[in-house]
Amino acid sequence: MTKYGALAGLLLIILGLNAPVRAQNRNITGSITLAKDGSALPGVSVLVKGTAIGTITNLEGQYTIAVPGGTHVLVYSFIGLETQEITVGGGRSVVNVLMEESQTELAQVVVTGYHQLQRRDVIGSITSLKSDKFKDLPVTGFDQALQGQAAGVQVSQSSGTPGGGIAIRIRGNTSISASNRPLFIVDGTPVFDGRVSGRDFGGQNDNSLAVVNPNDIESVEVLKDASAKAIYGSRGANGVVIITTKRGKNNKTTITADVQRGIVELIGKPKLMNSTELVELQREAALAGGSNPDMMGLIAGVTDLVDTDWISEVLRRGILQQYQVAAAGGNEKTRFYLSGNVRDEEGVQLNNRFTRYTGSLNLDHAANTKLKFGANINVSMTQNDRVKGDNFLDGVYSGAIKSLPYYSPYDEQGRLYVPNDPNYAEFPNFNPVGQALLPRFRTYGLKMIAGANVDIELARDIKLRTKVSMDYNNSEEDQYEPSTTAIGGYLASVGGKGYGVYLTSTLYTLVNSNVLTYYKAFGEGHQLNLLLGNEIIHSQERSSDVSGRLFPSDQFTYISSAGVVDAGGSFYSQSGLMSYFGEAKYDFNEKYYLSGTARFDGSSRFGRSRRYGFFPSVSAGWRLSQEPFLESLAFLDDLKLRGSYGFTGNERIGNFQYLGTWASVTYNGNTGVSPNRLPNNQLQWERTREANLGVDAAFWDGRVKVTADVYHNLTDNLLFAEPIPLTTGYSSIQGNIGQVANKGIELSIATENLTGDLKWTTDLNVTHNQNLVRLLANGDTLYRGYTADGVGSTNAVLEGQPLGTFWGLQFLGVDPATGDALYEDLNGDGKISPDDGQVIGNAQPKLYGGLTNRFSWNGIDLSVFFHFMYGNKVLNLTNATLLNAGTDLENNQSKAALRRWRQEGDVTDVPRYELGNTYNNYHSSRFLEDGSFLRLKNVALGYTLPEAWVRKVGLQRARIFVSGNNIWTLKRYSGVDPEVSTLDGSTVSQGIDFFTLPQVKTIQGGFTLSF
Amino acid sequence: MFSNCLNKIGKACLLAVMLGSVHGCREILEPPPVDLLVDELVLTGPADIEPVRLGLYNALRSFGSTTIMAGDFTADYIQHNGTFTDYNELGNKNLTAANGAVAALWGGIYGAVYIANFIEENIGQVSKVTQDEKDVLLAEARFCRGYAYFIAAYTFGDVPLVTTTDVQTNRNIPRTSKEDILAFVLEDYEAALADLPDLWDANSREVNKQFATRNAVRAALARYYLYGKDWINAEKYATELINTGRQSLDSSYVTVITTEFDSETIFEVAYGNTSGDDPGTSSTGLNNLLVGRREVIPSNNFVLQLLTNNAGTRTATIRFNSSNQQGNDNGWTVTKYGTPDQSNNNITLFRLAETYLIRAEARAQQGKITGTGGALADVNVLRIRAKAPLANFSTQANALTVIEQERLYELAFEGHRWFDLRRTERVQAVMSAFSPNWSSKFELWPVPQGEIQRNPALQGSQNPGY
Repeated sequence: MTKYGALAGLLLIILGLNAPVRAQNRNITGSITLAKDGSALPGVSVLVKGTAIGTITNLEGQYTIAVPGGTHVLVYSFIGLETQEITVGGGRSVVNVLMEESQTELAQVVVTGYHQLQRRDVIGSITSLKSDKFKDLPVTGFDQALQGQAAGVQVSQSSGTPGGGIAIRIRGNTSISASNRPLFIVDGTPVFDGRVSGRDFGGQNDNSLAVVNPNDIESVEVLKDASAKAIYGSRGANGVVIITTKRGKNNKTTITADVQRGIVELIGKPKLMNSTELVELQREAALAGGSNPDMMGLIAGVTDLVDTDWISEVLRRGILQQYQVAAAGGNEKTRFYLSGNVRDEEGVQLNNRFTRYTGSLNLDHAANTKLKFGANINVSMTQNDRVKGDNFLDGVYSGAIKSLPYYSPYDEQGRLYVPNDPNYAEFPNFNPVGQALLPRFRTYGLKMIAGANVDIELARDIKLRTKVSMDYNNSEEDQYEPSTTAIGGYLASVGGKGYGVYLTSTLYTLVNSNVLTYYKAFGEGHQLNLLLGNEIIHSQERSSDVSGRLFPSDQFTYISSAGVVDAGGSFYSQSGLMSYFGEAKYDFNEKYYLSGTARFDGSSRFGRSRRYGFFPSVSAGWRLSQEPFLESLAFLDDLKLRGSYGFTGNERIGNFQYLGTWASVTYNGNTGVSPNRLPNNQLQWERTREANLGVDAAFWDGRVKVTADVYHNLTDNLLFAEPIPLTTGYSSIQGNIGQVANKGIELSIATENLTGDLKWTTDLNVTHNQNLVRLLANGDTLYRGYTADGVGSTNAVLEGQPLGTFWGLQFLGVDPATGDALYEDLNGDGKISPDDGQVIGNAQPKLYGGLTNRFSWNGIDLSVFFHFMYGNKVLNLTNATLLNAGTDLENNQSKAALRRWRQEGDVTDVPRYELGNTYNNYHSSRFLEDGSFLRLKNVALGYTLPEAWVRKVGLQRARIFVSGNNIWTLKRYSGVDPEVSTLDGSTVSQGIDFFTLPQVKTIQGGFTLSF
Repeated sequence: MFSNCLNKIGKACLLAVMLGSVHGCREILEPPPVDLLVDELVLTGPADIEPVRLGLYNALRSFGSTTIMAGDFTADYIQHNGTFTDYNELGNKNLTAANGAVAALWGGIYGAVYIANFIEENIGQVSKVTQDEKDVLLAEARFCRGYAYFIAAYTFGDVPLVTTTDVQTNRNIPRTSKEDILAFVLEDYEAALADLPDLWDANSREVNKQFATRNAVRAALARYYLYGKDWINAEKYATELINTGRQSLDSSYVTVITTEFDSETIFEVAYGNTSGDDPGTSSTGLNNLLVGRREVIPSNNFVLQLLTNNAGTRTATIRFNSSNQQGNDNGWTVTKYGTPDQSNNNITLFRLAETYLIRAEARAQQGKITGTGGALADVNVLRIRAKAPLANFSTQANALTVIEQERLYELAFEGHRWFDLRRTERVQAVMSAFSPNWSSKFELWPVPQGEIQRNPALQGSQNPGY
């Protein structure tokens, strides 16, 4: 109650302040136009300097202002334009003004939360990325485009799968169980990110952000500290990414056509044994294990007559193409942006393809100066032909990498080997070429982001914006695995006659927000901005699935023809958030800044006693460069110190986690109930306390710009399912116990090295983040990741270590006398057991960042972009199979196995091979490698044709370009790509390479034409 | 504070221009669960009895497959042929405390114990249900709990004795001696025997075999006393059971393998056949492990024994396919657990053939070897059914040898071998001959690593050798 009372009181104060000033006045009138194209500028603020007298221009760009007698200075300002001050003598009554678009970055518009600011006035930690920075990158989604571009933003692509998952972490990982993904806002609408589809493909997921066309994006803002994020309250702890799409401008219509085409191939291939090498190794292993290799069919010179390079068999060079037409324009009253785009990317794996169609329409209409409307519609449709991989034996790349080279994909007639053929490799090997070509794994995606808003000027300086918007995501998975595939033909429980699945999934968010803003300038240089708002978010999740088997033949591929339809389901759930928020900003002479933000959230995910959370922040800024004592430093353009402190939250856990519940189970086809979850009424938000100190500086006419931030964040009340002994009848209880800290330094430097005909600019950003689990319930160690031979799990979460910690035995090398692996006997009990497991490394980098150099000369532009990561470890879990010391003989081995121990005295790091011996393949630091890399991420060379030429053919602008992505990588990792992550999106088990498809290299060319 | 949502909206009329029309507050912040039942509503009235009862049997079923892993995969019947480490460890006799099957069995046992305890604690408060109905459900709960603890005691040795649903108590609970656990089992069994019906439904064989009956308790008691070397009681309960005549041997051994709810089954935990209720491709599903993935195949040693004359038609327990025979794979597959289509994916916990073998062994131990009431007659009942040559022995030592072998032919892959070898103290001899990796520590399964880590009272009390 008290809270709302305070809000109402504040409103009264605002209204009270709005009493008009009256004196003996004269009127000054005039019109304001944009210098570039002469278009009228509505909404420009006109202020009599040093007074509270002001107005704004009408739709035709005209204004009338009543000023007291005498000489005054009129200040004309508009966001994104250079502010002008004009001294008006006593006799002048008409002042027309031409305004210029601002050239300096300080005046550029930054979208923050529910409103906009000039960069100059930002006191939070916000990184902006304009679309021209990623226009030549062959990215599917804007999340990819952020990689290496922003300090504090770590972007990792989980694999080379088109349309696949991207892990984004802003200022480190804050949570163990709740999501670590930032909040994504597109044109004011919080959008769903991550996977939509239901079926597991072995590790790699689809990515709903890949469905948003990056070419429609004007700018991306990353909000990083509490001052910027607290307005998003319970959803802000992981950072907020705000995407603003392009909108029409008040000028003549421009039509732009973009064409891009390119080729895609894998950045490298794993080094695997050929048949002869493998047969020799397997014979050795069989003999050592007491088996007769001849009886097992391992005969040198016979078995190895076939030698298949499986990786080459399943890969291809893909074609990437993208076409876009966009039109933008408008007049004083109505502006529009319209675009259509088709993108088609063939994956490097056979039959893997991602096609996307998008259309968008943004409209702005001003009915009069007091009433405006806006609408945005963004529709995308995708068709994703997927293939299995990673942890799936019947995957394509994952199957090929381990397939035995002495089998062949095709028989003598060129027909694919399929299950039950005499020369089919059988479980656990399947024909990966067949697995690529024969099944149908088609996912149809639909994403719509749509919104409409009304802006009303309730009174001078008070505006209300009401917005209703939605984010709608749908996927339909249409799948059939014929009798010639592993699931459809081999798996006994399916029945060997084909397997069809159809799944639908819809994720839907409806948002209503109402925001009041108040702006007041008063006295000498005092400016006050107030914002009050509320927001209601309602999300729904709906899904259904059905599967059928026993098809008459492989010509019948839909479930209507299935002999048995014995599995299906449907699901519905909803969640909601109801919030109030406010912000007050004050500055004096653009020198001293003070602001406070708070959000009050109620969430359906928590029980009554813990339903509401309050997330405040305060921040302050001081522009030292305005101070007299620094004005003498001519080289210093701008110097601003910023500090912020506040709280944000994370509520992204599943629904109903606070209830003690029983769920339905079956017994002999009848349904009963079984305990499902323990109750926890006290379950609540994760809360992150954030402190940030930053400095922005610009020197030598903006030729050197530096932004540096240090931060220290502490997340407590960590949400997680605390594992408890199974003797309780449960395996875990949802709790809020634990703390994770992130502290770090971010540095961005932008320089203009050459400014003549030949221009050269450099952007560098570097981030160091230190992540630490400070506290866990009962000091427990949580074991996560894959199960690991002989030691439990590949990953652990424990106090004093970062998230993403690798667990295992410490490998001490190979005993030259016996060839056996040596492990550290940590507890000294004379044997190697899971009790000897220990921390063996972690997946988080010590340092990461990007370096971009851009050159331009006479219409030629060149950009060279490096991305790097340093100090992270990668778990090469693939080698637990490909360098398995003879545990089994079902898989091809890495060339590294040529180094294996073979006789007494051999000094090597690869143990001897003995069939059935699991000890030498225990999970240990043997599989952990340095994952540091420096990657030439992109080189783009473009040429903008001289305007004189293109005018002749009726064009405004024409540019051609070629661009290459992932050209070169410097690494120590023995696998192909240290950037991959088999558990797409995982935090506690990040950085594991488990038969994961490496990144792809893309070479593309294209052109842009503007009419 | 904000006690009433609507009130809040009313006062915020200026801000909430569209709020009321979009969604009500209660709908936004308190959506009802759609597929969950909250604790307080689980067992309150007559309609709740059946769902909870099915939950109990579901929990019992959940450790059916892992019990078979303990009994057969730990022993000399199998070799590993796949990619899962859990079964590699079992096949190659490298079992560790981190093994997933170990945790799955332990978790399954205590899952069943939880529901049984829940029923015991709550059954008194259920309204509109007769005392008889309450007694029967409690008897079923106690039978399931007794069986769970029986498997626990013989697999892990001393285990925590959980008798309440209180989480705080059960999080920090030490091991209780195997003797005390077994005494608790006996109490449960005897209580169940008093209150369970002989038949659930005179017209449905399926119902009578998928739920516990008095004969199921007798079978459990016969096994209990056999393991406890109380030969008189073992014989007594076996004879009582056989004499009820409610079960009779199938005429053909193949029926045992291919048919559910066949006439000799006393109690089997059941999966549905025409619904999604099947063990499917879960990592502990027996059909998936033995037939689908062939993670686990019969060992050469086992195959050779089942191919002898004395096994008779029981060789149908395994089948050969030459296309599988490559590398280390001998081409043989265990057939006892079929797919939903084959309608034999249930797991039999007790069947009449075992009862005959229990009685034969109990009689042999008492020196009753030949003649009516002798061990030989019981063994030959099974030989005749298997169309195998009749057994012939006259000394106690010979009788016990033949019975051990007969259990191999008859009961393979039904979860007995490792338990049998241990109670007859033959485990060291048989297993050392089978695998060089065998050591005496494998006479018990380890306590799961996670339990030791999470339950303070278990710290430092791992089974020897692990």
